[in-house]
Amino acid sequence: MTNYLPGDLSRRSFLAAMGAFGAASMAVPRMALSQDGTVLTVRSYSDLQVLDPAYRLSLPEDDIIRSIFAPLVIPQPGDVWGWKPVAVDSIEQLDDTTVAFTLKDNIGFTDGYGQMTADDVKFSIERMADPANESPYAGDWAALKEVEVKDRLSGLIHLKNKFVPLWTTTLPTPAACILSRKAMEEMGDKITTEPVAQSGQYLLADWQPKQKTILRRNPDWAHEPGGYEEIHIIPIEDPATAERGFEAGDLDYTWTSVSSLPRLKENPPAGAVVLEKPSLAYVWLGLNQDNPALQDIRIRRAIQHAIDRQTVVDAAYFGAAGVANGIIAPGLPGSRDAVTYDYDPDKARALLAEAGAEGLTVTLDILNQSERLTAAQVIQANLADVGINCEIKQNDSGTFWTLGSKDGDYFMDLQLVLSRFSMQPDPSWASVWFTPEQVGVWNWERFDNAEYKALHDQGLVEDAFAARDEIYKKMQALMDESGCYVFLTHEVVGAIHRDTVQPGLKPNGESLYSEFKPA
Amino acid sequence: MSAAVSDAWRPVRRLLAEPLGALGIALVLLVIGGAVLADWLSVYEPSRISPRDRFQGPSWTHLLGTDQLGRDLFSRVLHGGRIALSVALFSTAASLAIGVVLGLIAGYGPRWLDNLMLLLFDSIKSFPTVMLALALVTLFGPSLTAVVVVVVLVNVPGYARIIRTQTLALKESEFVTAAQSMGAGTARVLRVHIMPNVIGPLLILASMDIPVVIAIEAGMSFLGLGVRPPTPSWGAILNDGFTAIRDTPWIVIAGGLPIILTTLGFTFLGETLRDVFDPRLKGRG
Repeated sequence: MTNYLPGDLSRRSFLAAMGAFGAASMAVPRMALSQDGTVLTVRSYSDLQVLDPAYRLSLPEDDIIRSIFAPLVIPQPGDVWGWKPVAVDSIEQLDDTTVAFTLKDNIGFTDGYGQMTADDVKFSIERMADPANESPYAGDWAALKEVEVKDRLSGLIHLKNKFVPLWTTTLPTPAACILSRKAMEEMGDKITTEPVAQSGQYLLADWQPKQKTILRRNPDWAHEPGGYEEIHIIPIEDPATAERGFEAGDLDYTWTSVSSLPRLKENPPAGAVVLEKPSLAYVWLGLNQDNPALQDIRIRRAIQHAIDRQTVVDAAYFGAAGVANGIIAPGLPGSRDAVTYDYDPDKARALLAEAGAEGLTVTLDILNQSERLTAAQVIQANLADVGINCEIKQNDSGTFWTLGSKDGDYFMDLQLVLSRFSMQPDPSWASVWFTPEQVGVWNWERFDNAEYKALHDQGLVEDAFAARDEIYKKMQALMDESGCYVFLTHEVVGAIHRDTVQPGLKPNGESLYSEFKPA
Repeated sequence: MSAAVSDAWRPVRRLLAEPLGALGIALVLLVIGGAVLADWLSVYEPSRISPRDRFQGPSWTHLLGTDQLGRDLFSRVLHGGRIALSVALFSTAASLAIGVVLGLIAGYGPRWLDNLMLLLFDSIKSFPTVMLALALVTLFGPSLTAVVVVVVLVNVPGYARIIRTQTLALKESEFVTAAQSMGAGTARVLRVHIMPNVIGPLLILASMDIPVVIAIEAGMSFLGLGVRPPTPSWGAILNDGFTAIRDTPWIVIAGGLPIILTTLGFTFLGETLRDVFDPRLKGRG
């Protein structure tokens, strides 16, 4: 037999060497390319669906939108809430109702749409605020009167009244991302997944649905550059899967499941840094008050009394998270020490009997995620204990986030839903989603209370901490009384990153892609 | 009489004489026995949660440990076996019944009908199983019924194609022509003369498909597309364990081991059945 191998190398020794090489390559964890500052690979918990700042659907989209459409300001990364300028050279509040801004002189739009001007700022902000456009984020600019263009780069934002959340939950969000008037008017519609006239530190280079989104450094961005040539964003819904991906070397940064935090903190993977951040998010069980099976308030109150919230949270988060008493996290005005209903199965049974609803069957919709499923099963057991048969329905993220939408065909069939909303550091950003205008948008419980709405409006102009504290506590008491809400937890945020990466994170652990840098 | 009994037991003896066949029978009996006697063998109610007992390792109290909700895994595995076997047996039987009927019609019927049905079989077959499952679950929601429908849809075209091919070969044979000339109708020809001659190999094939069906059910439940919680299912147990695989590997082992044993059992049994009843196919596949 002809020996094709060089020298004394036999076939057997060649195979042995290859085997050893293969084994060695598996023993050394693969590292992503973040070490040389070329590519950063991060996980997002959902894929993008809309890249229009006015119609965005999820937090991961916020991050992409902020990276590709230059915002006036972004949140300051670090442990203290604040903001830093991006598209502006200067921005300041002149009085309660006037903000002056001056844009940087050389920010351009791609696709030949020229330089960003103050008129683009006027267009972008007024477009979002205009009720005719039905932006779910119109409330961010609820106090806007108009944007006045002073000259090519500067202007004034005029408010109708004092608006306390302006610098916390309006300006440092995609609500202040600037679009090209010319591009948008030519397009005549909202931006979906093919952005035109991008202007940020990064540009959307590629989107492979359900697989990968690639942001590439904008070669025409003349200011502080993004930290990486490319950012690869991998949509992975389940945090446990993302953790496996990180440990396999496929990711440089990911949120972890809260339940994994104790293990990861105790025994972090080699070359990894584990972070735990206080979360502002809130998780709750919502009850659709317009669903025929839940229209009787006694049934909704019975469900509130049937749920052992401490056990639900302990089981789902393995003791790593505490129980929430509302939608507003500790430290913010309106944070409560208790809810107005307690865990009382006997009372729940009595209310059900009074309502003639023994043997009731309900459906609980959840996002297909391990923590939610665990929480749902405890809720299911709690409800079974008082005689309610609960069927759990798991949904992928694309389906889940449309369940309560009035544009869909399921919103009236929706009964119980386990939801989680992210949050900005102002209580109004939590309360706004439960106003009557949000019924069928994000208010899936269809909670419709005029007093709540009036208090919400009052909270937007009141800046004394004690007064705001009282307003938002009263609003959450109204939510309790409606029987539509069982508040569960604010979670904590767990994140893990390579020690070769310096992550750009808000104080609550949410990422700012444009602020990630090589360590 | 004794000769007849001896003849009846001969295939069984041949099966048991094959080491893999004996092992297959033993594993299948173990799984079936566990499922049938689940209520008697389980100390705990399989869906009873007890958060205080979560993540306990295997012990005499909990033979396979407990999951994240403190549920006894041994009880869940036994009851999960019921789901797996019920889905496998029911959906395979339904697939066989539908496949045989459609295959006979395609093979014995007119050419245009044959072509139409082939197009239908190939169209269904061209759907990837997971895509089909996702589409059905989107339409009807996750449930045991959805799992059965997916399995039936996936299996029917294969069975029907085999029956059609054999029917085509038999319909021109002399004994069929003789039956037709003696006045036998189409239904009688198909039922009495063709079906008994084509169904044998299909039964062997079906027994080898059972582990595939069990894997489909487990896979769908793992993905949250199968049985609804808290119904125990091997796939759901795997999913529960996947979250905490680093610290509590026994959950994944408890969910995975029965799938492996059942797959091996039915595969060994099916292959030995094939070798015993159709020696021409020995060593193939």
